Amino acid sequence: MRRLVALLGLVWCLANLGVAYFFLTSAFVAKTAAKEGILAQLSLLVGGVLIAGFAILLARECWRMLTSADASETA
Amino acid sequence: MRIVSWLLLVVGLVLTVLGVMAVLGQAGSGTQPWGTELADNFVFVKALPFVLGVGVVMGLVMARTHGPKVRSDGAIRRWSPGTVFGHAVLTVGFVLALPTGMWQYLGGILDVNLPIPLYLFYRVHYIGAAVVLFAVAAFVSYLWMTGDRSLLVPRGQWARHLLGLAYELPQPIRARYAKLLRVDLTQPRPPVGQFTFYERVVEFPSWSIVLALITITGLIKAGRYLVPVPGFVLWLASTLHVAAMVLIVIKLLDHFRYVFPRWPLMSSIATTWVSERYARLRHPAWQQVMAGGATPVGRHTEGERSPASSGIAGGGDA
Repeated sequence: MRRLVALLGLVWCLANLGVAYFFLTSAFVAKTAAKEGILAQLSLLVGGVLIAGFAILLARECWRMLTSADASETA
Repeated sequence: MRIVSWLLLVVGLVLTVLGVMAVLGQAGSGTQPWGTELADNFVFVKALPFVLGVGVVMGLVMARTHGPKVRSDGAIRRWSPGTVFGHAVLTVGFVLALPTGMWQYLGGILDVNLPIPLYLFYRVHYIGAAVVLFAVAAFVSYLWMTGDRSLLVPRGQWARHLLGLAYELPQPIRARYAKLLRVDLTQPRPPVGQFTFYERVVEFPSWSIVLALITITGLIKAGRYLVPVPGFVLWLASTLHVAAMVLIVIKLLDHFRYVFPRWPLMSSIATTWVSERYARLRHPAWQQVMAGGATPVGRHTEGERSPASSGIAGGGDA
C-alpha cells in the first residue's frame, strides 16, 4: 500500500511539475505581458517556482518511501 | 437527539434533491435565453442554498460522532468518523474542482483549446465546487456544534508552539527560523499533543485561510449574474480565486509531503485510530492524557471503551 501511495505521489509530482513548467514559461512570453501585465507575470513566476519546489520536496519523500521502509520524521 | 439529527439530514437531502431538480427543470425548459455555460452557472448558484443547507445539517450528524475514545487494545481515536467523512468529501471536491479550475486558467494563459468543449470543464468545476461548499458548510457546523478548538493554538501558548515547531523543522532551517522568531532553542522540546506543532501552527490555519478565500471569491464570481458586482470587486475576486487555487496546489503538495512519511497518521484519516504505540512515541502528551483520563467503562461490542468524560483536555477530536 505504501509503495502504491508513493508511486501515485510521484505521478502527482510529475503533473505538478508540468503545471509549474507552464507557469514559468508563460511568465516570460510577450503574450502574457501584453494580455495580463507585469503583476500576472510575477505571480506566474512565483507560483511556478513554489509549485516546482514543493513538488520536488514531495517527490523526495515519495522516493524515500519507495526505497526505504524507515521514513523520516521531520516537518 | 441523534434521531433528530438524522431526520433533519433526511429532510435536508429530500429538499436538496427537489430543489436541484426544480433548478435543472428551469434551466432545461428551453424558455431561458441562456447558453450552456450561463445555464450551468445559474444551476450552480440556485442550487447553492440547498447544498449549503444540507451541509449544515450534515455537520449536525457529524457532530454526533465527536468525542475521545480509547480502544481495548490502547489505540486512540484521533479523528471522529464525522471528520473522516468530511475530509473524504472535501477530497472528492478537490479532485473535481482543482484540475478543471487549473485548466480554465492555464488554457486562457496558453491560449489553447482542447477537443473537449470548455463548458464541460466549467460543469465539472461547478459540481466539484458544490461538493467543496457542502464539506465546508458541514465542517463549520460541526465545529460550531462541538465547540472543538483543538485545531487552534490555545491562547497564551504561542511561544510553546513556536518552540515545538522549531524542533519539528528540518535541521538546516531550524536555526534560521529560531533566529527570525526569537525562539530559544536552549529550552527543552515540549511534548507533542494530539496534533503536531506543525499541524497546529502551519497546516490547519493555512488550510482554513485558503478554503475561506477560495469559497468567498468563488461565491462572488458565481453570483455575478444574479447580483450586480462592481467591476473592481469582480476583478479582485477573480485574481484572489486564482491565487487561492495556486495556494491549494502548493498546500496539497506540502500536505502529502508531511503525512506520507507519517504513515499511521495517513491510516488514521481513514480508520480514525492511531495505535497506542505510535501515540506514545510521537504524541506522548496526548497519549498520557488519554491513558489517564480514559476510564474503562466496560467494553463495547465492537471492542471500544469510552472515556468517562467527553471533555478530556486534549481529547478534542476535530
